[in-house]
Amino acid sequence: MAELAIALHGLQVELLVQRYGFRSIKEYLVSIGSKRLLERKCILHDVHLEIARGECFGIVGRNGSGKSTLLRVIAGIVEPTKGTVSVLGRVAPMLSLGVGLEPELSGWENVALCSSLLGLSRSDIAHTKDYVRNFAGLSEPELAMQVKRYSTGMTARLGFSIATANDPDVLLIDEVLAVGDAAFQQQCYRRIDELKRSGCTIVFVSHFLGEVQRICDRAACMEQGTIVKVGSTHEVGLHYHDLLGIPLNP
Amino acid sequence: MSTVVPVSGQATLRMQRQHLPMLITVAWKNVRLRYKSSLFGFLWTLFNPLLFLLIFLFIFSRAFPQVENYPVFALTGLIFWSFFATTSAHVLSSVVDNAHVLRSLAVPAQVFPLAQLMAGLFNLLVSFIPFAFILAWFGWRPVSATILVIPVVALFACFLFGLSLALCALNVYFRDIGILWSALLPALFYLTPVAYPPDLVPADLQWVASLNPLYHFIGLVRVVLYDGQAPGLELWVPAIGLALIALLGGLSVFNLLRRGFIANY
Repeated sequence: MAELAIALHGLQVELLVQRYGFRSIKEYLVSIGSKRLLERKCILHDVHLEIARGECFGIVGRNGSGKSTLLRVIAGIVEPTKGTVSVLGRVAPMLSLGVGLEPELSGWENVALCSSLLGLSRSDIAHTKDYVRNFAGLSEPELAMQVKRYSTGMTARLGFSIATANDPDVLLIDEVLAVGDAAFQQQCYRRIDELKRSGCTIVFVSHFLGEVQRICDRAACMEQGTIVKVGSTHEVGLHYHDLLGIPLNP
Repeated sequence: MSTVVPVSGQATLRMQRQHLPMLITVAWKNVRLRYKSSLFGFLWTLFNPLLFLLIFLFIFSRAFPQVENYPVFALTGLIFWSFFATTSAHVLSSVVDNAHVLRSLAVPAQVFPLAQLMAGLFNLLVSFIPFAFILAWFGWRPVSATILVIPVVALFACFLFGLSLALCALNVYFRDIGILWSALLPALFYLTPVAYPPDLVPADLQWVASLNPLYHFIGLVRVVLYDGQAPGLELWVPAIGLALIALLGGLSVFNLLRRGFIANY
């Protein structure tokens, strides 16, 4: 196998979760003493995964099966309770589009703000600005405008451009390309292909099997916090549909 | 084979020197955003203490004839109270307010409370300039001891930060903390000798008043800015002690709880 970009071994993530919301204060008062306030929840367990450098890897699975948490572990947002995480190079997480954008600030100010939240250096930020000017498809007056006046699609364009500007080594995409118009989506896929060709490793989470099969080399299916199947996108697709109990081509 | 380097997990979530530019950017954003899209902008920082000063002058200046130059007495306390009330509230809600960022980017959670503290400090320092003029108008003059306001602000900021950091972490799990704090602040205001001289409290109840940490900090501020003297050791020691306890306590509570933030935003 080629050089590894991501290696996860014996991964386990447990988190303390508050059991009572605002609506259940009464329930809490009634149960005080007999139940604990916080509950330990197992989000991921026994996850083993190796992804080669330059590979485009898809992850499918039901809602709540742990896909997003897995991406967060790779991105370094969530610390594993047990196990090891190794990632090669700089990770650009795109877990939701337009994250970190401040509505009151202009497009340009947001480029600087978001880039610094991504951990980029000053020279990288200058490069991001050039990139946004050429790629985002937003006019100069639009970029000088406050982001709160942007449409959803415009926000998505800005967010995607900032996230992918500085050729990351690992790109994590979580179900974010569904917004934006068809032209922008195509532009996104072109950019993803371009990054792929330049050796960027991509982990792609999606509910749409078609998308996964189109852009991914391999895939995994997750169920109840662990990986139940790794293989070609076709095999994983069959497994996923078995799991859901619906035929692959209805 | 591979040059797979162990990254992140542990490393990225902890505050490190590499996060300094990020911290400064976020702090500056906070400064700019506080009064963005408002006509009077920064003037609002002055408005709150001045409004209270007006009320105090109206109600209290006759009530405490023993206080020489009541406006200066009240304003020196009010500037710091306003800093405490505003900044603690901002620090407290900072992590929850930025949940969307913390859920999606590898940003250490400490960045947001720290950036709010920095923005609050910046606001305080800038507001010193107009306040100095207003105080001078009431007959206050800077003396050599005035420079001691710098260590006093530093200690006060440490105490404020430690306390609000602990509240901030707890607030992620139980939003009651934020609600409770906004209810407690006005009570704390009357418990702290901001408007009234501290010797107004009966002698046999002084020990109760001194249980309030703010009592010591406001006392320190008053000695430096109102009395124009260098505080004695008996004033420095409790302030340093409280600042250290708050800071260490706040940091350990925050570090203990931050692992679970992600599931409770």
